[in-house]
Amino acid sequence: MDHRLLAGSAALALIAGAAQADKVTVFGPWLGPDQENVEAVLAGFAEATGHEVAYVGSDSFEQQIRIDAEAGSAPNVAVFPQPGLASDMAGEGFLTPLAEGTGDWVRDNYAAGQSWVDLGTYAGPDGADNLYGFFYKVDVKSLVWYSPENFEDAGYDVPTTMEELKELTDQIVADGETPWCIGLGSGGATGWPATDWVEDMMLRTQPPEVYDAWVSNETKFNDPAVIGAIEEFGAFARNDDYVAGGAGAVATTDFRDSPKGLFSSPPQCYMHKQASFIPAFFPEGTVVGEDADFFYFPAYEGKDLGSPVLGAGTLWAITNDNQGAHDLINYLQSPEAHEIWMARTGFLTPHKGVDTSVFSDPTLKKMNDILLGATTFRFDGSDLMPGGVGAGTFWTGMVDYTGGKDAQEVADEIQSSWDSLQ
Amino acid sequence: MSPALQGLMTIVIGVVGCVGYFYLSNQFLDKVLYPARGPNAGRNINRANLIRPWLFLFPALFALGLYLAYPVVETLRLSLTDRVPGGGYEWVGLRNYQQMMQEPKFWEAMRNNMLWLIVVPALSTAFGLLAAQLTDRIRWGNLAKSLIFMPMAISFVGAAVIWKLVYDTRPVEQDQIGVLNAIYMALGGAEPQTWLTTPFWNSFFLMIVLIWIQTGFAMVILSAALRGIPEETVEAAIVDGANPFQIFFKIKVPQIKNTILVVWTTITITVLKVFDIVFAMTNGQWETQVLANYMFDKLFRANDWGVGSASAIVIMILVMPILVWNVRNARAEMK
Amino acid sequence: MNNIAGSRSALVWIVNLCVLGLVCLWLFPTFGLFVSSFRTADQIATSGWWRAMFASEQNLTLRTAPPESQVQQGDLYVIEGNLFGDNPDAVISVWGVSSRDIDAYTPGETAELRRGGEITVQADGGYRLVNTEAFEGNRGPRVFVTATTPPELTFQNYKNILFDPANVDGMAKAFFNTLTVTIPATIIPILVAAFAAYALAWMDFPGRALLIAAVVGLLVVPLQLALIPLLKLHLGVGIGKSYLGIWLAHTGFGLPLAIYLLRNYMAGLPRDIIENARVDGATDFQIFTKIILPLSFPALASFAIFQFLWTWNDLLVAKVFLIDASGQTTVMTAQIVELMGTRGGNWEILATAAFVSIAVPLLVFFAMQKYLVRGLLAGSVK
Repeated sequence: MDHRLLAGSAALALIAGAAQADKVTVFGPWLGPDQENVEAVLAGFAEATGHEVAYVGSDSFEQQIRIDAEAGSAPNVAVFPQPGLASDMAGEGFLTPLAEGTGDWVRDNYAAGQSWVDLGTYAGPDGADNLYGFFYKVDVKSLVWYSPENFEDAGYDVPTTMEELKELTDQIVADGETPWCIGLGSGGATGWPATDWVEDMMLRTQPPEVYDAWVSNETKFNDPAVIGAIEEFGAFARNDDYVAGGAGAVATTDFRDSPKGLFSSPPQCYMHKQASFIPAFFPEGTVVGEDADFFYFPAYEGKDLGSPVLGAGTLWAITNDNQGAHDLINYLQSPEAHEIWMARTGFLTPHKGVDTSVFSDPTLKKMNDILLGATTFRFDGSDLMPGGVGAGTFWTGMVDYTGGKDAQEVADEIQSSWDSLQ
Repeated sequence: MSPALQGLMTIVIGVVGCVGYFYLSNQFLDKVLYPARGPNAGRNINRANLIRPWLFLFPALFALGLYLAYPVVETLRLSLTDRVPGGGYEWVGLRNYQQMMQEPKFWEAMRNNMLWLIVVPALSTAFGLLAAQLTDRIRWGNLAKSLIFMPMAISFVGAAVIWKLVYDTRPVEQDQIGVLNAIYMALGGAEPQTWLTTPFWNSFFLMIVLIWIQTGFAMVILSAALRGIPEETVEAAIVDGANPFQIFFKIKVPQIKNTILVVWTTITITVLKVFDIVFAMTNGQWETQVLANYMFDKLFRANDWGVGSASAIVIMILVMPILVWNVRNARAEMK
Repeated sequence: MNNIAGSRSALVWIVNLCVLGLVCLWLFPTFGLFVSSFRTADQIATSGWWRAMFASEQNLTLRTAPPESQVQQGDLYVIEGNLFGDNPDAVISVWGVSSRDIDAYTPGETAELRRGGEITVQADGGYRLVNTEAFEGNRGPRVFVTATTPPELTFQNYKNILFDPANVDGMAKAFFNTLTVTIPATIIPILVAAFAAYALAWMDFPGRALLIAAVVGLLVVPLQLALIPLLKLHLGVGIGKSYLGIWLAHTGFGLPLAIYLLRNYMAGLPRDIIENARVDGATDFQIFTKIILPLSFPALASFAIFQFLWTWNDLLVAKVFLIDASGQTTVMTAQIVELMGTRGGNWEILATAAFVSIAVPLLVFFAMQKYLVRGLLAGSVK
């Protein structure tokens, strides 16, 4: 408690240094209920500092922020859903480096702190590396969803290692049932759920350094390490016995429809791997924690790679410099800023100083524990790759792979598309 | 101000403005500049009549120039430049075109567009001709025509939803809710097909949507042309003992050859611009990319105005022969 | 003679059947979506729309009332009720208590529960749960039933889409946005084009033939070319993405067809009328407003329908020139594409939304078909 008070008052002290009240505009991707949540946090900021603050949310954030920046009408603070765009804009000189000391603070106070600093550090227009982005609100992707009652009916236990998970998968098949629901369909973005699988498999078969090298293309996409991870995913997704509807249905099943198989009668599948946001697409009336629950997508016991966690998060950056914007980033370092949203819904944080008892429901707390217990945290790699790969050929390549194409062939194609970007 | 009110005001301002412009400028010409009175009345009338056409034409010419002619030139310029970060443009010559030519997605779009260009006009015209010929001979022909014609009124997006339901796929153990799979399974198919994600064939399933929309158009035009055929030629053939098929293919079709060509080219232009159907149904995935959607991708997703403009120019070049042909026809007709 | 008549009537029959087949083929897809928009989400997901009029068999997962509603009868704890709630109209054929064995029992049989106690389920959904110890936990056990539910058509989907204020998928706003785009974008080009068409048809001036040729040429220019230059222009002069912007854009894009259609029609009007009026001393302006405009009504109407359908159904122009980050100006076509992305599997929402957007053009189409056909015939270059 003392620790929290200290951190809070330190932030306030910093803020009190601000001479006059500024108008701070914040632009982000959140609409609807999430907009109310972020506005509650910003109201806390306004109250604590006396700055005036306004938030605008947009569905097409990525396109709009670029147009606004080029037109010279950027907001003070932009909330990027993925680092790739922020990195580009930092290089073009649209972002202002964060105040000195912010990096040290993140390193000390966030779980897997160095990962977060690295993710927010980019080369500026002059080529020098600076911390531009501060992470606030993150998602965990390494989760497997299941129906506890169905597990109970069948007498299955939650697996804690990858070996056990594979055993359970075979057990379910032996019982004449189908273990997994996998769906990659997502309209124009079809294929992305598979990229999460491959990334999680990378972290479970290779040390984190290899993952980083892969994301920056120092390790080529058609490297045996990457192909190994793709094939690990294929071991689940390309096995007709393992997937509801057979391997052929994987690419076409919509990712939003896919988890519904857990709750159908009789169950079409028993497990579904997806990020923390997926309960929004469960059938109406499904209560997380009772009808549905999740467990950590486990690591191989035999590989000694710790318990890696794959995630994503929103990154706050200053797109139009003023004191108020810096004060806002400072405010986000106080536990209070995290606890306001924690007490509402859908918020996870790597901040070690927060009081996790304020979480509005036990599920979120359990997810946050996975995050805090991570020995390695890695950001969704496809978000870090160039758009043409991470939001292009990687997606389509995975669709081709689940359709039966050879992993080597797919990886070669993705690599060549990456080469053509340089 | 509510948009509805704003819209209403724009209508009023627009209409009053237009009428006002035409009326006042004419008044100005006739009463102030060259009054048809006094010593120079005759000369003034002539002068006013020289200027008047341009008063009538000015708003239209201005809008046409600004919204259609200028963009052609500007797009050409953009396709030869790249944007420099932070503003400004850089002349890059043909580099955008080179880059585009190296992209497999571009060639995929070209290949698909060529398929669309062959299949859609051909089948739309064929079905249209069939429908026109058949409906002309029955009592409820007009009702049948308006029902076949109806998809013309439905938006491409609406059509995409309609056909997505037709193509829907459910896992094999469930009841199919898409008509196509239901029929396929009833005919003894082993497992339901995912029509929209099977490369190569899926393009045809997208084309069906456009054929469905365009057939009505072809039918209406061709039916009018068929009715315009002189009765004598048909009667003469009947007397000669020709069967209905011979009459249709040997007597009627040759006489409406020109109309068929017009229908064909009109649908061809529509095909070149087809965007909504692909955008809404597959967004160019599973090898269904077409030029218009490729261009949209480049412009608004990759934010690459250079290559995007270059692909727009490619569409323009493909339209060019039809444009020239149309203009020559129109000029010949006026002489 | 008989023979010929016989083969003739056979032929007529074949023609009739062919046309019937063709019409069905063309109508079926739309009809399917139409029927679907009146079905409930469960029904759409479990059976094809062509079964809408038949009872459908569904597998349902239901729960009994929670333990807090138990009553003590003698030394037994009892929970009673109906699985379907207050208005049971479904009939259960088989049921079970484990997800592994959902058809283990027939109605009237009694099953042992894993956590202790017994349950009996009747065909109408009535159940009775008994145990010698008190039931614990905060929820009743699951019961898996296979039930036949009678067909049901409902207006609920339309109510949800159009009138539910809390509904984020609401089309009502998009509907008005579309209307706001469409009406000015239809009326303004007609006015501008009518004057120009008159000048091109009945006034003599140098360069007339060239201008007509230019209009014919512009008729086929793909509007794709105009997107970036005009967006730049609009951003540059401060119009930005707005209704004004899209009205201007639609006016520009619609003009070639408007001028072409109207000129063709006006040029076909009898020369005497205009000559006579000129002799009587009428000015061109008077001739135009008093004689030409009223006579050209059919051509004006056919262009109006074209432009209306085109602007109502447009997606591309709206996406580029109107829809911005605020989300306040979404038109229906864009809204439906969004729904396909976010509600891909919810056919009850998609079908209803699509039909809301299709309804108006269809009405216009059937009411004004005559003019549409006339316009088409005049509009296709001869």
